[in-house]
Amino acid sequence: MIAKSRKIKDTKNLTGLLPSVRFTDPKYLYIAMANARCANVDLYIKEGEHVNSCQVIGMRHGPFFDQPIHATCSGTFIGLEKHYHRSGKLTDFIKIENDFKDTLDPSCKERTPEEIAALTKDEMTEIIKQTANVGLGGSSFPTYVKFQTNKPINMVLINGIECEPYITADHRLMLEFPYRIMEGIKYVMQAFNCKHAKICIKSKYKDIAAVYRQVIKEYPDSGIELCLVGNYYPQGWEVEMIKNATGIQLNPGELPSNRGIINFNVSTMVGIYKAIKYNMPVIKREITITGDGIKYPKNFRVRVGTALHDLLPLCGGYKNPEKEKVFILGGPMMGASVPNDDVIVTKTVTSVIILDKVESKEEPCVRCGSCVLSCPVHLEPVQIMNAVKTLDKERIKTLNPLKCIECGLCAYTCTSKIQVTDYVRKAKMIAKL
Amino acid sequence: MIITKESAPHIRRKANVTRMMADVLIALAPTLIFAFVVYPVQAAINLTLSLFIMNACEFIFVGLKNMMPADGLKHTFKERFEHSYKGKFTINNILTASITAVIFTLIMPAGAPIYAIIVGALVGIVFGKLVFGGLGSNIFNPAAVGMIFAKYCFGSQFVTYVPTWYYSLPANISIGETPLGKIYQTRMYGNYNSYSLLDMFLGKIPGTLGEVFKITIIIGLIYLLIRRSADFRIVVSYLGTFILLTLIAGLSGYGVNQSFEPFKFLAYNILGGGVLFGAVFMLTDPVTSPINSPSRVLYGMVAAVCTVLIRLFAGLPEGVGYSILLANMVGVVLDHYEWSNPRFNWKNILAMSLLVVISGFVVFIAIFKGGYYVQ
Repeated sequence: MIAKSRKIKDTKNLTGLLPSVRFTDPKYLYIAMANARCANVDLYIKEGEHVNSCQVIGMRHGPFFDQPIHATCSGTFIGLEKHYHRSGKLTDFIKIENDFKDTLDPSCKERTPEEIAALTKDEMTEIIKQTANVGLGGSSFPTYVKFQTNKPINMVLINGIECEPYITADHRLMLEFPYRIMEGIKYVMQAFNCKHAKICIKSKYKDIAAVYRQVIKEYPDSGIELCLVGNYYPQGWEVEMIKNATGIQLNPGELPSNRGIINFNVSTMVGIYKAIKYNMPVIKREITITGDGIKYPKNFRVRVGTALHDLLPLCGGYKNPEKEKVFILGGPMMGASVPNDDVIVTKTVTSVIILDKVESKEEPCVRCGSCVLSCPVHLEPVQIMNAVKTLDKERIKTLNPLKCIECGLCAYTCTSKIQVTDYVRKAKMIAKL
Repeated sequence: MIITKESAPHIRRKANVTRMMADVLIALAPTLIFAFVVYPVQAAINLTLSLFIMNACEFIFVGLKNMMPADGLKHTFKERFEHSYKGKFTINNILTASITAVIFTLIMPAGAPIYAIIVGALVGIVFGKLVFGGLGSNIFNPAAVGMIFAKYCFGSQFVTYVPTWYYSLPANISIGETPLGKIYQTRMYGNYNSYSLLDMFLGKIPGTLGEVFKITIIIGLIYLLIRRSADFRIVVSYLGTFILLTLIAGLSGYGVNQSFEPFKFLAYNILGGGVLFGAVFMLTDPVTSPINSPSRVLYGMVAAVCTVLIRLFAGLPEGVGYSILLANMVGVVLDHYEWSNPRFNWKNILAMSLLVVISGFVVFIAIFKGGYYVQ
């Protein structure tokens, strides 16, 4: 089939209309030590020590920033355990026994509206840094770094597009907590002193559009608008979103702040709201457990650190347990697969997708060109693949694979079922050498 | 329960090579049925022979390619056979070889002798496809290679077969002359009145088994485009450039001699020979066409320019067959990594316009000043 393929079969109807299940307090919580961006960790607590919810229990040291680790419940620190992290690696996790009292750390104080109105951008940046807010859409990029920009910002874009199939966590979050999101946007607009904000959603999400049309009426003259964008994949990629929401085409590698735009995910907005209003870190998040390998797909709002083992019984367990399964953390197009169901919900896990393994036999490339037609950054994946096969470094560099965003469309569309994306990843590694 | 790790993406589009190949065969089916109705004996012989030869060659090739390496141990024939063929000789191997066989059958003339079919099929599959590495690696269209070879070697021994129940030759046509051959070998434009356009549309002319009947080819084109198994860019750019250049030729002829009818000349050129068949089934073969969309458009244009120039000035039969092979060759160059670009930019648009302008100018000058087709 020779065709551009940007519309992926929508599987959001599995969970899109289900309310998220809350108040799932597990006995043990696991908090990741290192993550993809920070390798070195200092732990501030000893075994057997009592911790409060939201207490700082450690510090991650990244290449250019430090990130505090917060406890997400009150209880006793038991020790370290190895579990699978979202990146697919086996990592140390801090195990905390929940005492179900949820005693808050004294540092969490509610700010009055007057106090918030008096906050400057630098103060907000410091609050967000101390509460370790990161991009909750999956990038885990520290939010305060985005706040540190000196460029004038005149547009805040909120990404509620969620273009990957299956995931409905942001969808539910937008429906269930519209006021938190609106308040968060107000705080960000106050910090950057900008007049315009747009909440970007797919134009087919009629329910979210209806909710926000109502809610925006309560914020007159705030400059917050609803913006309906395209229904295709990868609409959620910031370059595509900015292009469709504002008409500005970013150059490759250019930061949106250069053009006076700053963009956040909707769940980051809730995180910023909590941080500024209550001085609390992200201790809860929305996740979707879905896929054809599970009996009853559901949305959850859980504490960060919940183990998947505690949530699976609520979903009715596996469907067809005799079949081979694939566990995906994140979306099916870009998410990492883990070799074990011993999965912990970290801050950036948007979903756990359990699919029955589909064996697809790889055929020789018939040069149909679908990957070239579909590539959102206008690369030639098949040429890159051939260059990687011959290990021709010159050719790989000329084809410029570093532009690739690893959206996975080239392998998705491949008529011959070749893992083209894998070859492009290899090419990126070779081109960086 | 087993949990496997795999790299992203974890979902795939519902499309596969087998479906794409089967689509081409389905699109070819109406034309093949026409060939069987009008030329039952020739079609049966040609199809059986080429199907057998091409599939056998493919089978032997797969066996040789996956031969068990010598490891000093004795293996039974069954072990060796399984090592070579199990999971390696698939439905796709049979389908591709069959597509080549069907196309080869349809582009051979009705009066081709059996040995020409055998040699053509062998050369086509072996030197057109297998020496390059089989499916997905060939540069040239194997059916075109076989047909050109057979015509070159045995062209003089082909006889014209006329199925008298379907049509009879007009009085002024001698046996062995196809409509285009009549014009282009004698270089007398006035000869295009020897067949009516309706007869040419309905295939009531001497010619190849499948190229002559246009209705089934158009049905095949529509099916291929609906199923997205052929790229419309190639078909549109090929036919568009062909029509433009032929029209330039016709209008230049009209400028020289007022009795020349340019639009009839155009219709005659489209309906005669293998332009439609080649554009629909041979040029669009994804394996031998380039990958990027601008290269595909340029590829169709190159093929059209070659067809027009060969037809008007070369005095060779099979303008379409040659132009397909030439364009296949150019297609590889168009996709070279140093200048390939998946988007239309000023460079490749400039190349396209230069190609059309220069070839249009050549056609115009040659006919207007050079004295071709003015009698």
